[in-house]
Amino acid sequence: MKKNLRLLYDFFIIGLFTIGGGYAMIPLMRQTFVNTRKYLTEDEFLEMLAISQITPGPIAINMATFIGYREGGLLGSSLATLGVVLPSFIIILLISMFFTNLTQIPQVQKFFIGILTGVVGEITYITFDIFKKANKDIFYIALLLLSLVELFILKINPIYVILIGGALGIIFGKFFEDNNGASS
Amino acid sequence: MVLLLRLFIEFFKIGIVTFGGGQAMLPLLQHSFVTELHWITQERFLYFVSVAEVTPGPVALNMSTFIGYELSGVIGSAFATLGVVMPSFLVILAVAHFEKKFKENVIYKRFMLGVKPVIIALLINAIYLIVNRGFVGFIPYIMAIVSLAVFILYKKSPVLILLIAGVIGVFVLR
Repeated sequence: MKKNLRLLYDFFIIGLFTIGGGYAMIPLMRQTFVNTRKYLTEDEFLEMLAISQITPGPIAINMATFIGYREGGLLGSSLATLGVVLPSFIIILLISMFFTNLTQIPQVQKFFIGILTGVVGEITYITFDIFKKANKDIFYIALLLLSLVELFILKINPIYVILIGGALGIIFGKFFEDNNGASS
Repeated sequence: MVLLLRLFIEFFKIGIVTFGGGQAMLPLLQHSFVTELHWITQERFLYFVSVAEVTPGPVALNMSTFIGYELSGVIGSAFATLGVVMPSFLVILAVAHFEKKFKENVIYKRFMLGVKPVIIALLINAIYLIVNRGFVGFIPYIMAIVSLAVFILYKKSPVLILLIAGVIGVFVLR
């Protein structure tokens, strides 16, 4: 039970600090579950992230359900999901009821943009960190460049970019998986 | 009660077709609640979006709480939120349940081999999207670079760093 309540708490904090879209929570989740709690390895985390992106629903909910289920079964996943939902729910209810103009207050806007700058620093940091730890063979680099072209120039939906990467992995993976023994 | 069920169902549908960040669901929501059902005016909807994007939590959840409350109070927001969460919850439960079985599968492993570099690209894309929408003037860029430096040097407590960035923002941002 203690672990389940910790899931609720961890995901509550993560939900509270997700400002700027679903990706804003990735650094905090990685820090919490890979580094601090050690529930997941880096590879498991990245795989979960990919699955959360190509299955229906916001990444936040998917990750909460996923990690919750692994750590605490049905109860764990329910509490983790509740945790990540509650901050949104409470804050929006309060705004609807009492603070209709809260987000119009300049100080509040600046506070949120300030957090957003922190989020950008945080995502930049983990992007470097994940890249640094990855096994960067020619396949990895080529796929990274291809994905950047797909996202920035061709403006392809992220779901398809992941599916294309996965498909190329299935086709060409056998030539490279030996180098990636560490990843399994 | 009919309204509550309808809210649940509408948001359940949105939950099924929303992938990733949640921004993608905004046009769908607008179509359902503004154009088709006429439950929310266009002005109200745009106000909700503007708040949902700057408050904590996924946009999809903020919108479900907002619209649910507008139409049927706290119980309405609970039904709407439950609706938008349910598809994710059920699909991921199924995936997580069978995860052990396909984890050793060679096709799955190769698929994931191809997916990992894509995640780096998606993170870079996320940075671009946030900067593009939220950064005005040069001060936010400086703050982002400083916070990057802080994260490199001191990575123990991200929440504290984010809070400090918020407080500094109140004083230095225009």
